[in-house]
Amino acid sequence: MSIIEIENLTYTYPGGKKPSIDDISLKVNKGEFVLITGPSGCGKTTLCRCFNGLIPNFYQGELKGEITVKGLKTSSKQTYELAKYVGLVFQNPENQLFALSIEKDVAFGLENLGVNRKDIRKRVDWALKQVGIYDLRERSPHEVSGGQQQRVAIASVLAMRPELIVLDEPTSFLDPLSAEKIFKVIHELNTKLGITVVLVEHRLDLTARYSDRIIIMDKGKICQDGKPRKILISEETRLLGVGIPKATLLYHMLTKDGCNLDNSIPLSSEELASFLKESLETHD
Amino acid sequence: MSVFDGLKFRKVYSPIHNLDPRMKFVYVCVVFVVAILFNQLLVLLALFLMPIPFVLVAGVQKEWLRSLRGAAFLATFIFIVNIASNYFTSGYVLAIIDVESAIAMTLRFVVLVASFSVFFLTTSPDHLGLALEQIHIPYEFAFAFTTAVRFVPVLAEEAQTIMDAQKARGLELEKGGFLKRIRNYIPILIPLIVSAIRRSLELAEAMESRAWGATKNRTNLYELRLHRGDFILLAISLLVLTVAIYLRLYVSVPMISQIMF
Repeated sequence: MSIIEIENLTYTYPGGKKPSIDDISLKVNKGEFVLITGPSGCGKTTLCRCFNGLIPNFYQGELKGEITVKGLKTSSKQTYELAKYVGLVFQNPENQLFALSIEKDVAFGLENLGVNRKDIRKRVDWALKQVGIYDLRERSPHEVSGGQQQRVAIASVLAMRPELIVLDEPTSFLDPLSAEKIFKVIHELNTKLGITVVLVEHRLDLTARYSDRIIIMDKGKICQDGKPRKILISEETRLLGVGIPKATLLYHMLTKDGCNLDNSIPLSSEELASFLKESLETHD
Repeated sequence: MSVFDGLKFRKVYSPIHNLDPRMKFVYVCVVFVVAILFNQLLVLLALFLMPIPFVLVAGVQKEWLRSLRGAAFLATFIFIVNIASNYFTSGYVLAIIDVESAIAMTLRFVVLVASFSVFFLTTSPDHLGLALEQIHIPYEFAFAFTTAVRFVPVLAEEAQTIMDAQKARGLELEKGGFLKRIRNYIPILIPLIVSAIRRSLELAEAMESRAWGATKNRTNLYELRLHRGDFILLAISLLVLTVAIYLRLYVSVPMISQIMF
């Protein structure tokens, strides 16, 4: 069952000469972990804005084609109606947190929806525990680290119990270690709670292992779409300048030089290490 | 950053901090009204001493004294203007009573600063926003208020970054005369404004994505409730007000110099 259905979607920002996304068709199934990547300015962020109706509600401009999320046409629904089903997490954690305490920030969406106080409290505590920052709930979002801020942002959409979470480069302001933690949190949301995840990210070496599917965009079009291992090994992907995981690259080089590794394509260093060990042992 | 430090509210818990901001505001308004009703030094002196127990219980002496020191310049100005006008209007003589009334006028200003600063020093912006909401001020305004408070340190930090960046490119802020110095700040203001606008757009996007405006009957995680302390404060405020009105109407409060000489 698909949760997002996009058909021939084309969008041009007001005053833009070329469309930012150009004739995109896409289906995302419920429970999937989809990774979207591609060079800067390829339309990833624009696509994210379409998922919860920021385009065309918040941004004017010209939208052609059709996009439905959970059976709702985004062009005829307000963003706040879609917010119940789609949570959007942005790049800069600082600009999406605006309350004076963390729990208040997480409660913001629920307050807007008019949920009663007892239920807000329950859902806020639950969301904070899911992302592991329950102890920080009374601190100001401004005082905590970037990684923790981004977790607050995730908790604040999680509290609205969405079926789909879209994250637009959530770790570009973070160091590698915090980024890794964030990805683990996202992975858990996907596997434990069954939330569909659409993650826009450049750091494939940290995320490819979690994904069911990778989509590569370029110049507003989808140019690759499929299983991670298949996509990351292809010549076309390499030429686009996508940050292919080091392990996959090494595997590629080794097989090209005639090294025969009979296992499947590795997505992380750990996988590569175990594959190498296995094949070394069998060849001895 | 030091300029903005005063605007940062530190989370402290004391009986005064826990009082309902609405009741504290009623108290401050009462002080304000009484200070306007009287121009006798005796009453104003009493009003000046009134917030001191609050300050001590709340443990904000240091900040409170700093805000009084901040008012010193304006207070001196008020004193000089009063003395001068008394001197010229009473035919170039300066009686003791004139000096006293000048002191009283100055003290009136200090009383206002003193009690308002107690209010702001012991009320978290969060509580204040909540109070605004609960007295049915439209949520948009309450939200604008708390967001502004929230972003003061962020913008201050950004201003510092821009200043460092422009200095690294050779901008000299402290050079030239008064007008030149003001002009020096243009390369700092413009990027700051541009980034603030960009920031506000991102903020609006994030708010939209979290169901801003979904319902008119917005709920709130917190709720202000009146406790015993709040009623005591209200009682004190009303008592002060009644006594003051009574004194104003039926008793003529003497000047200190009249009692002494």
